[in-house]
Amino acid sequence: MSSSTNWSKGRILLLIGRLALAAIFLAAAYGKLSPLTAKQWTLSSLKVTPASLELSMMFFAMQLSSYQMLPAWAVSPIAHSLPWVELSLGILLLTGLGLRYLGIIATLLLALFWAVIIRSYALHLGINCGCFGPNEKLTGWRVLEDGGFFALGLAVTIGAFFYHRRHRVDASAFAQTEVSSS
Amino acid sequence: MAQSSRCIDRRNSLGENRLPRNLRRLRPIFIAATSLAITFGFLVASQGAMAQNAATETKLAAEKSLGNSSAPIKLIVYDDYECPACGQFYEQTLRPLIDTYVAEGKVYLVHRDFPLTGHQYSRQAARWVNAAARIGKFEAVERALFDNQMAWSEYGSENPQGIMKPFVQAALAPAEFKRVEALMQGCESNDHDELKGCAVDPEIQRNIASGELLPISYTPTFIVSCKGTTYPPVSRGVAWPLLKQFFDQLLSQKQP
Repeated sequence: MSSSTNWSKGRILLLIGRLALAAIFLAAAYGKLSPLTAKQWTLSSLKVTPASLELSMMFFAMQLSSYQMLPAWAVSPIAHSLPWVELSLGILLLTGLGLRYLGIIATLLLALFWAVIIRSYALHLGINCGCFGPNEKLTGWRVLEDGGFFALGLAVTIGAFFYHRRHRVDASAFAQTEVSSS
Repeated sequence: MAQSSRCIDRRNSLGENRLPRNLRRLRPIFIAATSLAITFGFLVASQGAMAQNAATETKLAAEKSLGNSSAPIKLIVYDDYECPACGQFYEQTLRPLIDTYVAEGKVYLVHRDFPLTGHQYSRQAARWVNAAARIGKFEAVERALFDNQMAWSEYGSENPQGIMKPFVQAALAPAEFKRVEALMQGCESNDHDELKGCAVDPEIQRNIASGELLPISYTPTFIVSCKGTTYPPVSRGVAWPLLKQFFDQLLSQKQP
């Protein structure tokens, strides 16, 4: 009884974690793709046009370049693809399909972001983060927040694997019971 | 009755009874009119101050700027002449920008000083550039100081003693240099504080104050404005091809 209660609590926690992770990726994509001229989180920021998209991604490319990590030729392609990767990950995490694999991808991406943020903070680059919007200072708080996101990603991935394994064990135990009873 | 007399006494003490009844009725209107007059006075004063600030700003921008002030894009760059990243940004991004988009009237480039206290000679360099800007020789002296940054800055190995005067002299005609030298009277110091006798220090101080408002903590930091929209600041510079792409995109956008 207690085991089954824990089991359902775990499932709820995994659901909350998955939705939170999806929200993080969707917010990050929104911050990079919404028009630069609009105020964030307003209706006008949802009026995306091809020109405003291009401008937002160009601006993100400049912010990415200020990290001084990527070769010049790689900045623009990464800036143009990363927001879409984040958007796709966010949507897929909402559906919950293939959570183990999505969890691995999301955790690796969050680990990479965290490492980049730690490096930039340690080097006192004094740049804008560009993580959730165009005007966001890279502060110590941002480093902690990104660490939290990484921990969440890791927890969701471990939870997804644990849930999958438990589900498989339960299913095989049920099958064995069915076979022995028949 | 006693209560009534106390009441009358109090009103007398407040002086309200001294006003005729007609005037008493008009009292709220007097108060409202006075408040309006005071508010209007404040507004006029603040408008005056704003206009004065705008005039100072225009003067500052005109002295240390390149290109046509009515160009569609305005680029404000906060620089420190001794910062190596600023030198790199100038040589690799601003130089091609000046030669192309500024020359073609597409970009109006405004320089603002933000000498960081961690750089020993940066304030002194800013003073030389501001003195040159006063006689219309901003571009020549800025270029001379950035081109020879390693020769005078503490990061260089050639002659890192903060001696930038020869480079300024080489960039100007003898008569021009004399005028700049005259403006530099009381300014030749590495002190980062505002010097009382230095004519160009108030301008540098205004530039620093405008940077601190943003706020800026590192250089180079630049801000792009186009068609009435100002975009968030970008620190640490950016490669010219990326900035060019951004400008092209801005120029291709329709007026909102």
